[in-house]
Amino acid sequence: MAVVWEQKVVELINNKDSVKVLATLDGDGVPHTAVKQSLHVDQEGRIVYLELLESSRTFENITRSLWHDQYVSVTVKGDESSYKIKGKPTRIHICGTLFEEHYIAVRERLGDVDLAAVCVIEPEEVRNQTYRERLTLQEAGQPFYVHLDRLANTVHTVEFSE
Amino acid sequence: MALRQTGILDRDLTLDEVLEKFPEFPRLVAIKIDAQRRGVRYSDRALTVFNPQIHQVRGAALFGSRDDQLTPLPESLLLRDGTTLLTDPTPAELNPYVVDYLGDKLVLLDGDKVIEEVEYWPKPSFYDKLTSKGKPMEFVVTARPQRLQIMPSSYCHFWENDNGCKYCDIVNHLKHQRTGLGVHPRLNPQEVGEVVGEALKQPGRYSSITLTAGSDTRGVEPFDEEVNYYIKLLQAIGQYFNTPKFPSQLIATAFNEKQLERLYNETGVMSYTADIEVLNERLFDWICPGKAEWIGYQEWKNRLVRAVGIFGKGNVNTGIVSGVELARPYGFTKEEDALKATLEEAEDLAEKGVSTVYMVWIPRPQSEFHDQHNASLEYYVRLATGLDSIRRKYSLGIDFDDYRRCGNHPDGDLSRIW
Repeated sequence: MAVVWEQKVVELINNKDSVKVLATLDGDGVPHTAVKQSLHVDQEGRIVYLELLESSRTFENITRSLWHDQYVSVTVKGDESSYKIKGKPTRIHICGTLFEEHYIAVRERLGDVDLAAVCVIEPEEVRNQTYRERLTLQEAGQPFYVHLDRLANTVHTVEFSE
Repeated sequence: MALRQTGILDRDLTLDEVLEKFPEFPRLVAIKIDAQRRGVRYSDRALTVFNPQIHQVRGAALFGSRDDQLTPLPESLLLRDGTTLLTDPTPAELNPYVVDYLGDKLVLLDGDKVIEEVEYWPKPSFYDKLTSKGKPMEFVVTARPQRLQIMPSSYCHFWENDNGCKYCDIVNHLKHQRTGLGVHPRLNPQEVGEVVGEALKQPGRYSSITLTAGSDTRGVEPFDEEVNYYIKLLQAIGQYFNTPKFPSQLIATAFNEKQLERLYNETGVMSYTADIEVLNERLFDWICPGKAEWIGYQEWKNRLVRAVGIFGKGNVNTGIVSGVELARPYGFTKEEDALKATLEEAEDLAEKGVSTVYMVWIPRPQSEFHDQHNASLEYYVRLATGLDSIRRKYSLGIDFDDYRRCGNHPDGDLSRIW
């Protein structure tokens, strides 16, 4: 199911200064993470990344995920916030108008690089991973998740009597 | 073995049944195989969104299609994973998949059931241009989604004494194209180079060049004429590159060592394919009598192995027209036996550095085997898995003939994830 994006999340993902990590699984179920600064949200609300290396582990895993309907995950972090987006690869463009537009653009931006594919991920869930946000939610919903010393009075006023 | 042939079922397993039986096999690759097995038919709705200005129209080809027509239909299709689906228009009575346009999507239908989204191939920008001699460039060089394809000669000399391969229609199709499209049987090397140079102006469009033609037995040594012609062509193409070698594949006759060394040393070609067509000597002698007459089964294999010493491991392979090993009346009668024999021979070649890839056999109307049937989907799925496993076992890459640089070998598609 497609997500309804918050504008601030789209802006975070599309900001070139954000750190963007794509997590995939290999054939043995071992996670593989890679920084993919080309990750962005397109006009249809899909996540797109440009794979520069045909031989990359991420590209293998993305193909496997598309073939077997498996999830991948994107983490994006800015100065003050962080989000994780879960989704499924739905299309790998290795030719055609979209591919060639990106091919030209990425070479203008990065110089003499190649482009193996334009990969499209359909997002299904966006999760705010910002620490303060997660802490507030945990304190409200899971009050047992705390060490008692953090709740203890620091000034001892109880008097013991025999 | 297909359950039909064991008597357990009176039909082959369907796509869904095969996928249920082999859950690890990629669904999209199975769809590709099945669409190649059965062919496709384009609905009127599908053709309303086919735009010859942006989509590739079928044009000159080495072999004919199941509809035996040259009508300007879509060249073929792409799947969502970027896989090239090489299939051809097929008469309705042969039960092809239907390409239809539903909602805002082009889809593959089996009956009323939507199987998968598909796309038309994008049209190369050079297709609208003319060579300096005024010939339409699309009649000189053709394209797949990521490859330039050159078919310099559509004539095969094995046909001269009726020894053409029995599944092949190359010479009959040439006659058809010559009258229907004006396609010339033999290309001029400089003109080929000119078209390649024009094609390379389209950024990101091509990742490989393939040359393939019919066999030419002529020469001081047999096939010297064919070798000389390829060298001229490859040298003309090489002028448009700034590196001595360029990603390329020559699909040709099994040449001797001297001829192979000339090809490698005098041109920019990087990989070599000599299609043995069927991995069984008895069937090779029957189905490919010209190859048997001029070279022979064991020598064909020996030449492939010697080519590894020249082109390097991972740069030499052979193709089989999978399904012809089951052709009547002399083929295997059980798919299980055909599979076992084929994989054993493929492993023998792999041990010596030669990869085997398969093409789904299409019984073409203008071939001797025109009234026969190809194998079951289950057979092709098992063969793809088997050939891929052999390549993994012997660490044999197939980069030069993979999903992108060729697209016609389902077994090669599986190498995308290792």
